[in-house]
Amino acid sequence: MKITVVADEDTVLGLKLAGVNETYIVNSPIEAESKIRELSTHPDIGLIIITEQMGAKIRKLIPDIIRKGIPIILEIPDKTGAVKGAEDPIRELVKKAVGVDIKIGKKQVK
Amino acid sequence: MPTSIIAGVKATRMELLSLKKKKQLAQKGYELLKEKRDALIMEFFRLIEDVKELRERLQEDLERAYLNLKYAKMIDGPLKLHSLASSIKPMLNLEVEIHNVMGVRMPKLNIISRGEEITQHSLIGFSSKTDDARRYFISALDTIIKLAEIEGSVKRLAEEIEKSKRRVNALKSIVIPRIEATINYIELHLEEAEREDFTRLKFIKRKLSER
Repeated sequence: MKITVVADEDTVLGLKLAGVNETYIVNSPIEAESKIRELSTHPDIGLIIITEQMGAKIRKLIPDIIRKGIPIILEIPDKTGAVKGAEDPIRELVKKAVGVDIKIGKKQVK
Repeated sequence: MPTSIIAGVKATRMELLSLKKKKQLAQKGYELLKEKRDALIMEFFRLIEDVKELRERLQEDLERAYLNLKYAKMIDGPLKLHSLASSIKPMLNLEVEIHNVMGVRMPKLNIISRGEEITQHSLIGFSSKTDDARRYFISALDTIIKLAEIEGSVKRLAEEIEKSKRRVNALKSIVIPRIEATINYIELHLEEAEREDFTRLKFIKRKLSER
């Protein structure tokens, strides 16, 4: 299976240097969403890398693809650094799964 | 709220017996599901910590990588970099396996056929910063793949936990009480029938002796 990147120019350039096969430069959330939708129907694609900045905008639009499991969609920070509260999706999962809001890592119950 | 009984139940001994069996089954199922839920939650927390660690590492890797990419762009120029990026042969191939852990389908990602040369030789005609950027991006990519695997598993786990939590709660607060209420209802009914029979017998006996 293949790894693909759907991201801004610099992220794409960097990951291309690292040897990622398929890369797509997108400039708007709408463009990203339709690209991801298109890619997710492709049986040969195992992982789609997007940026957190983009992810924050389109996460709500593609829950069906995220639920499907394959391809896995992973958000990484772009050149401006990590989005504050980037752990939020995970934290939400914790809340949903356990029922309490738990700070990850330090084993402290809020 | 009083627990309602199962609709359409006949107050017979047969029904009572089968309900008692059902209750036992429900309780066994409840215990098992509870154990499953607890095991899943434990696994979940183990993975969550890995996610956090990997996220931090990825953050560091990428910061370094972007910084070096910036320098590389300044020294070699974006155009040259783009043409280099396009000339790099795709060397990564991903293998996605699905593992079944306690009924949860977890993805497992393996990199296959990564060309050795990709990390070793330096590029002719490019600055060392380009080399560095590439190296950092490669190491970031490793982290990305690991993270993707674990995050995928975590998401699946969370869903599964939610599902078994709902099942456990449904058994505990709806199914079992309802069966219990129905058992109670049938028992009362049977007792009442018994008393009725008893009085009837007494009545008949008296009538017979009066003759």
